[in-house]
Amino acid sequence: MLISYNWLRELTGTTSTPREFRERLTMVGLAIDAVDELEDDSILDVEVPSNRPDCLSHIGIAREVSVIEKSKFSDPQAEISNLKYKVPRTEGKASDFTSVEIKDLDLCPRYAARIVRGVKIGPSPAWLAQRLGALGQRPINNVADITNYVLHELGQPLHAFDLAKLTEQRIIVRRAKAGEQLKTLDGVERTLDAQMLVIADAKLPVALAGIMGGEASEISEATTDVLIESAYFNPDSVRRTARQLGMDTEASRRFERGADCENVLKAQTRCVELICEIAGGVATEDAIDVYPAPLPARTVDFRPAKVESITSLRVDLSEMMRILTALGFTSGESAKGNTLTFAVPSWRADVSIEEDLVEEIARHVGYEKIASELPPSNVSGEYQPTEMKQRSLRRALKDAGFDEAINFSFIDTAHDEQFELIPGLVAEANNVGFVALKNPIIDEATRMRPTLLPGLLESVRHNLNHGIRDVRLFEIGRVFAKSDTGELPNERDALALIATGGATEEGRAQATREFDFYELKGALEAGVEAMKLGPLGFAGDSIKHLREGQSAPIYLPDGTKLGSIGRLSEAIAASYKFRQPIYVAELDLTALLESRECATQYKPLPRYPSVVRDVTLLVSRDVAFQQLRNAVDSEHIADYSGTKLVGTYEGQSIPEGKRSVTLRIEYRSDERTLRDEEVEERHRALIDSLVKKFHAELH
Amino acid sequence: MTAELNFEDLKPRVNAIQEVFQQKWERFRYFVLDHSDPKFIEHLKAEWRSGDSLLDMAVEAKDELERLRIELIGKKSELAALKKDVGRIRKEQRGIAGQAVNNLDIFIGNPLRDAEDQLQRLINKLRTESERIDVTLPGRRPRRGHLHPITMLRERIEDIFVGLGYAIEDGREIETDFYNFDALNIPENHPARASQDTFYTTDGFALRSQTSTVQIHAMQRRGAPVRMIAPGRVFRRDTPDPTHNPMFFQVEGLCVDRGISMAHLKGTVAEFLRRMFGPETVTRFRPSYFPFTEPSAEFDFSCFKCGGVGCRICKNSGWIELGGSGMVHPNVLRAAGVDPDVYSGFAFGLGIDRMCNLMYGLDDIRLLFENDVRFLEQFD
Ligand SMILES: [Zn+2]
Repeated sequence: MLISYNWLRELTGTTSTPREFRERLTMVGLAIDAVDELEDDSILDVEVPSNRPDCLSHIGIAREVSVIEKSKFSDPQAEISNLKYKVPRTEGKASDFTSVEIKDLDLCPRYAARIVRGVKIGPSPAWLAQRLGALGQRPINNVADITNYVLHELGQPLHAFDLAKLTEQRIIVRRAKAGEQLKTLDGVERTLDAQMLVIADAKLPVALAGIMGGEASEISEATTDVLIESAYFNPDSVRRTARQLGMDTEASRRFERGADCENVLKAQTRCVELICEIAGGVATEDAIDVYPAPLPARTVDFRPAKVESITSLRVDLSEMMRILTALGFTSGESAKGNTLTFAVPSWRADVSIEEDLVEEIARHVGYEKIASELPPSNVSGEYQPTEMKQRSLRRALKDAGFDEAINFSFIDTAHDEQFELIPGLVAEANNVGFVALKNPIIDEATRMRPTLLPGLLESVRHNLNHGIRDVRLFEIGRVFAKSDTGELPNERDALALIATGGATEEGRAQATREFDFYELKGALEAGVEAMKLGPLGFAGDSIKHLREGQSAPIYLPDGTKLGSIGRLSEAIAASYKFRQPIYVAELDLTALLESRECATQYKPLPRYPSVVRDVTLLVSRDVAFQQLRNAVDSEHIADYSGTKLVGTYEGQSIPEGKRSVTLRIEYRSDERTLRDEEVEERHRALIDSLVKKFHAELH
Repeated sequence: MTAELNFEDLKPRVNAIQEVFQQKWERFRYFVLDHSDPKFIEHLKAEWRSGDSLLDMAVEAKDELERLRIELIGKKSELAALKKDVGRIRKEQRGIAGQAVNNLDIFIGNPLRDAEDQLQRLINKLRTESERIDVTLPGRRPRRGHLHPITMLRERIEDIFVGLGYAIEDGREIETDFYNFDALNIPENHPARASQDTFYTTDGFALRSQTSTVQIHAMQRRGAPVRMIAPGRVFRRDTPDPTHNPMFFQVEGLCVDRGISMAHLKGTVAEFLRRMFGPETVTRFRPSYFPFTEPSAEFDFSCFKCGGVGCRICKNSGWIELGGSGMVHPNVLRAAGVDPDVYSGFAFGLGIDRMCNLMYGLDDIRLLFENDVRFLEQFD
């Protein structure tokens, strides 16, 4: 909202400089974004809060200024509200020349029309053109400029029709008929719907109510008689129509936020006064004012003690009264006990409760006068129950070389069937109800993501496109699916990892090794271990979005399926034009965090040395390491203390379909040092058993 | 007992040893010079041409010299035998003979030992030189990852508020209109509710446009008094551009108790900002309007870059706008089942993304969600 400093000075007699205004208005809640210094005026750009349409006018700002500058006025509010307008020459009744009918009172509770006959349309006098020009408004003609002038002065949008161009000189306020056309003043042909309120003559719409007039009834040089419209339109109706038609005008901006219904006649009188003075003509003695159901006067009960209890400010009652009175609130003489009743001025639709009045007083006393202290504390702070675990997880993944990604929560529907979703999100994997956005902002992104993977794949693509080939990312975020009951959608927290390229060292260009499945698995295990959860279980099995033979479901120790890990399928990789292997994992973090924590339990240090024996078995490639290890564990050998992998080998000298697996078996007793021979004996028995169980050969 | 010997008998042997020495010493004679003497090196290069490097040559020369020393003055050398035989010389000649043998030992031994010593020094020097490392090469460590700047800021904010006695809460990201609007005193036809500004699912639920939704749930669950902050992801229907994203992160705080006033709001926000931006930080409250608070205030803090003098970050005003706040509207308390006649409270909200922009001087906030490794690497 642009405010002319000169105009403000005229209204208030202030001597403050524009700079001083910047600070003072800001501190009463009217932030000044900028002060534009013109040659002979300064223009203040005021950011008016959405609940204060009364400040979208010079009179409104002047009222605030008069409260701020109390010393300069005996009764500033009276001066402002008593502005009396005098129309020099009147003749006849408005009803002699026109008629007004409101068909939709819900959208237009009040409409007033007054006629001025015999005007001389021409350019505005210099002072008027200049004043509007300073506010960024291009001068049009004297009558149109005067309506705009009054809008800036009093905040009431007005419209002037060429009376002769209104069929039967009638005004009908009604909803448009669906498909009805209206060419607005900006030259655009508008097609209307049945929700939009229009001003019509006997036949056709002549203006979009509260937004813009029509071209057909526009004031021209040939105009002699004008009809001045002053009305109150329903804010929601104006907002809806303006949005729908993509329009935003000085008028619509004010009606949308709420004009002052009691300002209708005053503004109209002011407008007619100026027209007669500047463009000549004779006004009708009265206006047709259709206002069948006047808005009730509103009052607010106010306990002065509330000012201190809410704000901690101590304010004298007389100062409270001064502020509220200057703002236009009036109080009945009789205070009932500690309560005063204030009548709310018609321009303050935002005030309805006691707290509103407390704010009025507080902002004019000054927020800066409010003390600053911490509330007395009788509680202790607490993190979310899983926060520390999540912090450990994030840091473990970070240490493992993964950067944390955050992607938008909405993705393309093209990914709908591509991925196997985490089990916690949907009851049945093959019957997923996806959550869709009704009004997306990014065209393709209408799906609330049921998986984090498409976002991470997009991030990898972005990086590869920028020449970064070694990328490791993780993301923790919410995933969504429809609930079975049709209530609010299911929401779960998911964890996803993605890795491609090679493992690099800080400050060195060459990757030390290429990523593989085990890098990703290791990072995931490190993250889970850092939370003292797991250990996770993995089993070779196929997963929709992963490459056959390099994929595994992930399980909790109790066998609950959590998600999946593996190499991205060729089909999906090809759709992204990835030419290097991509490894991904995703799991249900909510379920993981709910799982049981591993307790730390001290075990005495070994007192006797251990004996280790390696065994290399030639087995079918289908035999998994975990099967072998489980088999060793389940032999229950005396003094057996654990198995580790030494390595696997396939290739030269190994028959097709087979591989060799070398295990290191550790034996240790808590009572004594084991003798070689006894270990040898047990080890040999173990080997025999393994050979039999897995049809293995020794290698 | 063997027969006594005459000094004369030993003389030829002394001469012979000396002759052998003189003959073989020719190849080593410059090595008695200091090992850094150019002649030393020249000689080494000339005589031990076969070596690949100076170090190889020196090692070879030293080995050869060592062999010569053993041959000439070692335990099994002729000289050693000669020394033994001195004992067999007639008593009256023994002194002179001993003297002669000793002289020979010194005459041969000293240059041999000196040369060997110099060669060893050269070898040591060359070896040290060849093993000299470039201490400015990068230290060996695997590339580490980085936390997202939003995570780091969120954790820092949480730490500060937990320290101030607040509980951290989070809730659903898809909400009913009741929690997203009604309970927050946002009227039926408020522009924020329009599908222009708020995302809706096809089932009519809203993507939360502020984490105040969490506050309502928390008040309903915990009752009053309550102190909490809700950091989280929120959604507003803005087209992505350098200063907008349709998704961002914010923190909303709430403190409800008996006797809470705006002074407590000011004190809390100011304390938070001092802990966040430094003890010099000054906070300013300005009247404003939000449907869910009354009275309402926006808060600015003195620019952490210029200290209030004016700079690019604060647009020369010295102040940085950060968030909104106010005393919780009685309707909001009622909606959450808290009696506004007994309790009062304050609430505040601020954008984590916005803080991130300020602190790191981002020029395009879309970078926050592009996950470009070159961007992420700059934080932490
Ligand atoms: Zn600054």
